[in-house]
Amino acid sequence: MTGPTEFELLGLATPYALNAISDTEHAAIDRQLAAAPAAVAQAFRDEVRAVRETMAVISATTAAEPPARLRTAVLTAVQPEIERRSRWRTALLAAAAAIVVGLAAFGAGIALRPSSAPTMTEQIMAAPDVRTVSRQLAGGTATVVFSRDMNAGVLVMNNVPPPSQGTVYQMWLLDDKRPISAGTMNTAAVAPSTTAMLNKLGTSSALAFTVEPGNGSPQPTGKIFAELPLT
Amino acid sequence: MTTLVAEPIGYRSMTEPRRGSDLDALLRRVARRDADAFAALYDQTSSRVYGLVTRVLRDSGYSEETTQEIYLEVWRTAEAYDSARGSALSWLMTIAHRRAVDRVRAEQAAGQRESRYGAATVDRAVDLVADSAIAADERRRVAACLDGLTDVQRQCIDLAYYGGLTYAEVSQRLSANLSTIKSRMRDALRGLRNCLGAS
Repeated sequence: MTGPTEFELLGLATPYALNAISDTEHAAIDRQLAAAPAAVAQAFRDEVRAVRETMAVISATTAAEPPARLRTAVLTAVQPEIERRSRWRTALLAAAAAIVVGLAAFGAGIALRPSSAPTMTEQIMAAPDVRTVSRQLAGGTATVVFSRDMNAGVLVMNNVPPPSQGTVYQMWLLDDKRPISAGTMNTAAVAPSTTAMLNKLGTSSALAFTVEPGNGSPQPTGKIFAELPLT
Repeated sequence: MTTLVAEPIGYRSMTEPRRGSDLDALLRRVARRDADAFAALYDQTSSRVYGLVTRVLRDSGYSEETTQEIYLEVWRTAEAYDSARGSALSWLMTIAHRRAVDRVRAEQAAGQRESRYGAATVDRAVDLVADSAIAADERRRVAACLDGLTDVQRQCIDLAYYGGLTYAEVSQRLSANLSTIKSRMRDALRGLRNCLGAS
């Protein structure tokens, strides 16, 4: 039998399915559903399903073509998880070798570990708080996939042109104190597709890029030309 | 009295059968970490996902970030998809919409909402692009069903589904009581469902 409470509950099925419910009320509804008679819970689920199927069809009317760089970023972001594929291993080792050659010794925050990179990357991907941020970088794209819980991130750079001879790109983790170097990449290190691990995010709120002379600087001397918020 | 129990309807009839089963098969392969299937899934669905996210977030930078997060979630959780509980497209679009709404509300909590999302009414998207993945006649048919809603029903869907407001916020915005808003939402969805199922 459907009483007033159940009637009220079923009346919320449409807003629930449309995500038009506050988090607090969402949790309350889930508790009520768990305690509700099976037929009421089933009716609620049927209505939610019907609404979601309908809105999936309606999505034809809002469709819009994403930029091509998004495809590259999405497919690249899952690449580290496909480490069992020899194709991927080859690419990873080649990219990692290229970066290791270019890394300056004082890159305190960054460490490249080709053998363990997939494992750490997998952990970041699996973290409940995983986030991504992308920005244009010198005509290419820099993407950081990161997790505060893991205190780590993966930097993926696509189609970023290498720095001029005699200079390096230097990465900096910014917090409310002084910038901490997260490593450098020289002309040889910047491949069409480059990945790097960021192992200690600490309290940093952004990853910034500067061009620095020689093999890099202890503190930024160049102007920050790109900044990815890590929030 | 209106019954609140959904009539069983043929969901499959609302989407093209070939497309639906294709996405099912692709998601099952994605669950096995098949990168080629993931790329094909992206190619077949990204215009729907990105288009919905853009409609909700109204900012291309946020939309690109959120779309990336959506596909990462799809990659990580594809094994949770159960075709007995709904279509693959519905599973994907539900994830996409929830992520977009979460992002809008996070921006609101950060105090940025009024500048970015303050518009009281949400215009229908006008910058639609021709998309070979979605047949033109399907798009026309679906748009006709939306046009068949009453103005107050469409306003509720615009504010809640595309604006990211809760039904309580919609009620405040429109100075209408909660039960009226819930009824309008339910009637809007019932109207759309009947229209899509009948055509």
